[in-house]
Amino acid sequence: MGDLKPKDKKGIGNLDDPGLPFNYSEREYGTVEIDETRARFQWVSEVAYKNVHRIVSRGYDTTELMEEGYGMTDVLFVDFQARIPSIEEDQMLNYVMIMALEDGLSAPAAMSRLVAQSKTFLTQACGASIHAFGHAYGAYSAFGNRLLDELKNGNENGRDMNAIAQDIVDNNLDDESLGVSNLMLKDPAAKRMVARAEKLGVAGEYTTLMKLIVEKAQAVSGEPIDLDMLGAMGSVMMDLGFTAEATWAILAVTRSFAAGAHFIEEIERNEYRKLGQVLTPKEMYDGEADRPVPPLTERRENSKPALSTNLDEWAKAEEELKSVWGSGASIHEEIEDPSKKTGIKSVGKKI
Amino acid sequence: MPRTPDIERKTSISYKTEEKTVLRGYDLSELAEAGYSFTDAMFVMFQNRIPTQEEEKMLRYEMGVFLEHSMSPSAAGAIGVSVGRPNLTSAIAASISTFGGVHGPGAAHGYMMKKYLRRAHEEGKTVEEIAKVLVDDYMDNGTPVMGMGQPQHTDSDPRAEPIHLKQEELGLKGVYLRLQRALEKYFHARRKAEGRRYVGVNVVGAGNTALCDIGFAPNAAWCIGSVCRGFSCAAHALYNMKRGRAWAASKGEPMVQMLDLSMIKYVGPEDRKVPKQSERQKYAKDQKKEGEYKKWVI
Repeated sequence: MGDLKPKDKKGIGNLDDPGLPFNYSEREYGTVEIDETRARFQWVSEVAYKNVHRIVSRGYDTTELMEEGYGMTDVLFVDFQARIPSIEEDQMLNYVMIMALEDGLSAPAAMSRLVAQSKTFLTQACGASIHAFGHAYGAYSAFGNRLLDELKNGNENGRDMNAIAQDIVDNNLDDESLGVSNLMLKDPAAKRMVARAEKLGVAGEYTTLMKLIVEKAQAVSGEPIDLDMLGAMGSVMMDLGFTAEATWAILAVTRSFAAGAHFIEEIERNEYRKLGQVLTPKEMYDGEADRPVPPLTERRENSKPALSTNLDEWAKAEEELKSVWGSGASIHEEIEDPSKKTGIKSVGKKI
Repeated sequence: MPRTPDIERKTSISYKTEEKTVLRGYDLSELAEAGYSFTDAMFVMFQNRIPTQEEEKMLRYEMGVFLEHSMSPSAAGAIGVSVGRPNLTSAIAASISTFGGVHGPGAAHGYMMKKYLRRAHEEGKTVEEIAKVLVDDYMDNGTPVMGMGQPQHTDSDPRAEPIHLKQEELGLKGVYLRLQRALEKYFHARRKAEGRRYVGVNVVGAGNTALCDIGFAPNAAWCIGSVCRGFSCAAHALYNMKRGRAWAASKGEPMVQMLDLSMIKYVGPEDRKVPKQSERQKYAKDQKKEGEYKKWVI
């Protein structure tokens, strides 16, 4: 390989253009030699290893764990926290996971069922359901990291829990990941979960902070609001020692079991959908009125370039495109502020 | 705020009102308050029943032992996705999606057992007799017997035999375990007679047998195993996201990275000249006529 000569490569498109900062035709072919100067690649893990005879997670042989009477939820503590939980902690995790298992025909179940309709593997539907857990539905990462950061900052600056909770409410009252909303006004499940954590002696600073956030939020909200499942599950999981990301992962996967049941029921009770089968009634359409396709010969008269050559044109074009739903022009995504080390990203917020 | 369901369906699994979430008739909050475990809830969800204590123990064991498996296709999938730094959920979704026809094919093993048990019932054979038929059907055709063998645990999967023993200890020796044990017996005997090496039962063979004996349908069992692995794959992805280098190709790391250029071994067609557009038609026709390209078609 690599026997092509530079002259063989002359004259291809713009690749001989002097504006290129390199000589493209003289670039080498062939793969890169194995790097013998560094250690060979290995799967490096702090979590687990296995050999022919054993599977070991954080130092514990997993078969021995089971034989000793530990269970699946104990292994979650081992995998994510490298420790054996107390009986009460394990009981609490079971409680939280039961509550996270089923949520009716919400996004994870709906996504699983839609994937099921295409006649695919169950595992693909379960995997798809995980994607439902973004930064609004199941916003455990944004929720937990906010609590973590605010507690850390508050402790460093000598502020008490009340002041920390007030700051969080002042800055995030309308945020979907606050953990306080009008979703659980008639359902006591979230408050019962926190009460159970307290009864089991596993409630800590996160549930304490969460309760204060609820109080402060209720005091300034113009409508009835209360602790919701995000706030309850998120704070209890963090009091159990799980990071915000681990909480996010564990609860998303927990819901995925139910997504499997919904996949199965969808196949049992409904029919597969073929390509082209699903119609969208015109009543659901509010786009451009039906119009003739202009002949290609009249393309110049009918085409409209997107190019903006100055900022005024650009700003005008940006505004105009906002009227085109589906273009993405109405969605604003904030990137992390490069001047700060951390920050909560907001993804896909409508302008 | 609209609170209508995301999809309109009749469902017998659950409903959710402003007051409560109900799974198969049980208020979820009441279920948790009463002290049931998450594994109990799995029986309620997939089987519409409260399990016996022994059944719950069996599922807890099975899920616990299956959860972590270090570097398998699922963990490798999660890690591979995580190096691009998408949302964590993308890595988890990918890991669960790796469970297909070879990696943890739980449903297929369950359907295999059901198929042969049905045959035994229809043909008046014993479970042990049909196990022999099963093994012969597969081995005579050179098809691997599902539930046997594991490419890494080459002389017996450390999870598998203990699962069988646990099932027996818990008094859950049902028709599926009888079939599985019998097929293993014939399988080992036949391989020995043929002078072939020992191949042990794997975690699908043992675990899925237990799941079937405690009432889970093949797809439910598959769901339990595959999704359960998602937990540990999340840990592997998270570890790599928090401690590893994004892109997995840095030359600054002391160890060659997973996606270092030197990891690429190319065995495809020789380097060749890009044909001019003016020569394209002739080139394409000649290439098709020569047919050398066919050996590369995948």
